[in-house]
Amino acid sequence: MNAASGSILATSSLTMRFGGVVAVDNVDFSLAPGELRCLIGPNGAGKSTFFKCLTGQLRPSSGSILFDGEEIGGRHTHEIVARGIGIKTQVPNLFEGLSAYENVSLAASRRNRADRAAEIAGEMLELMQIPEIAGEAVGTLAHGQRQLVELAMVLAGRPRLVLLDEPAAGMAGEERARLAGVVRSLAGDNTLIVVEHDMDFIKDIASTVTVFHRGRIFIEGHVEEIMAHSEVQEIYLGKETNAAA
Amino acid sequence: MAAFGYWRGVALVAAVFLAILLFVPAWFDLFEVLQMTQYVVLAIYALSLAYIWGFGGIISFGQAGFFGLGGYAFAVISINMGETTVPFLLTIALCFAFAAVLGYFMFYGRLSDVYLGVVTLVVALIMWKLISHTAGPEYAIGKARLGGFNGIPSIPIMQVPFTDREMDPGEMFQYFMGLLIFVYLLLHVLIRSKFGRIAISIRENEVRTGLLGYDIRRYKLMVFSIGGALGGASGAMWATYQTFIDPNAFSLEMSAKCLIWVMAGGVGTLVGPIVGVVALQYLSLKLGETAFMNNLVILGIVLVLLVLLMPRGIVPTLHDWLRKALALARQPSRRGAP
Repeated sequence: MNAASGSILATSSLTMRFGGVVAVDNVDFSLAPGELRCLIGPNGAGKSTFFKCLTGQLRPSSGSILFDGEEIGGRHTHEIVARGIGIKTQVPNLFEGLSAYENVSLAASRRNRADRAAEIAGEMLELMQIPEIAGEAVGTLAHGQRQLVELAMVLAGRPRLVLLDEPAAGMAGEERARLAGVVRSLAGDNTLIVVEHDMDFIKDIASTVTVFHRGRIFIEGHVEEIMAHSEVQEIYLGKETNAAA
Repeated sequence: MAAFGYWRGVALVAAVFLAILLFVPAWFDLFEVLQMTQYVVLAIYALSLAYIWGFGGIISFGQAGFFGLGGYAFAVISINMGETTVPFLLTIALCFAFAAVLGYFMFYGRLSDVYLGVVTLVVALIMWKLISHTAGPEYAIGKARLGGFNGIPSIPIMQVPFTDREMDPGEMFQYFMGLLIFVYLLLHVLIRSKFGRIAISIRENEVRTGLLGYDIRRYKLMVFSIGGALGGASGAMWATYQTFIDPNAFSLEMSAKCLIWVMAGGVGTLVGPIVGVVALQYLSLKLGETAFMNNLVILGIVLVLLVLLMPRGIVPTLHDWLRKALALARQPSRRGAP
């Protein structure tokens, strides 16, 4: 499939090599504005590397990335973020010594004056339903709370495309349900790509799923269809391995 | 309230410095004034590294490159111009520009951490090597002969700005102390500005700062250039204070001392490196007067003890002790409790 016209994000033959290892292999991927897409795949499938290419943390070996019709492949991270892509990384990336509020406020202050940044920080913590931890140093917070603080930071930058790398990792039931609600509420106004392993969480938030396997897109489709797909079960759920054992 | 407390601390330190500026020349003899002038110059040199390391996360193993460049640039320009005010300003601008060019290749070339430190060290050593091989009469810039290992003598004494009157030792101490206060306050203003907070956030988490949309290369370059300008300014002050400069200004020893002063005083503070300079230089001076043992050995032992007992540096450790003592003093007495 080639880059679809009218898509907010379209990669074409995107490839990322590390020496002899091809982590992302000729990926053609497109996303419509307002869409919420989940990426799944076993560890090492290339999902996080794909995200790093989209955000400029890695310079693709070849191929193109069009964001809103503009080529962003190989551009620097700050240029890509300024164009409207925000990412919550797999391991929460926070300023450990600062409070939750200060973290989010710092994120908001790139595009806003100090008073407006403070307002946005308050709004984002409310949106995540964690205003009670605003004053606490993020280094002391539980993993799930740290995930929410980082998501608040990402949203404070007002991105048009939000990349979430395993946002539900380390979250308990109620916290995870709250996050699913937040993610669902973001879709429509924002475009989202969510990398996740938790299939129940995926069913809660998305209808379309893309499966990565060995750096390539293996299949795309409706979540129920994907989950029922025997080959997906083999590569993702390891039935092949289980059968062999 | 936190900001008020921060500025109250800064004002207190500045007031102490101002008192030193006002009273030292009257209360101390000439030798002591000259000695303290040396501490002040080296304190500005230490601040040049303390700022980029403590507030930008950039470790320079070759800060002497800027110190030496500042000394030589000031010597050459002031000998040719026959005055000191414009040469001093030109030296600062030149060192800023040199740091900007060097920093451009390092930061835009995505060098980081220890590699960056090694590059700065190599650059300083190359400069030391180059300047050491300028002994012949052909190595002259205008009226200033570079002099190879012998260095440049007869560098003009600092004049009262925009006049041709040379400062006496007391005036030079006060002028340099005034510059130290200015640099100290300027760095605090920079650190507390939006620019400073972003520089600190780069030190804390470079990846996240980039992902928030800040161009980390630009911020690091600016921090490094400011550090270079300060290092150059201190080199110029050193040259006019001694009326002499030689290749040792670029030496590994000068770079290492700067790292030690900052580390001993406390990385991430501005007062710490100043305390580090005064404490260790005073100790070196006193050890040099004794014949008990090689003073470098004793200094080495002192540094090892400092690292073991005060790993965060003198000032942060004393600050913690003071805070704990105050907290204890504020607690109601429990002596009579059952």
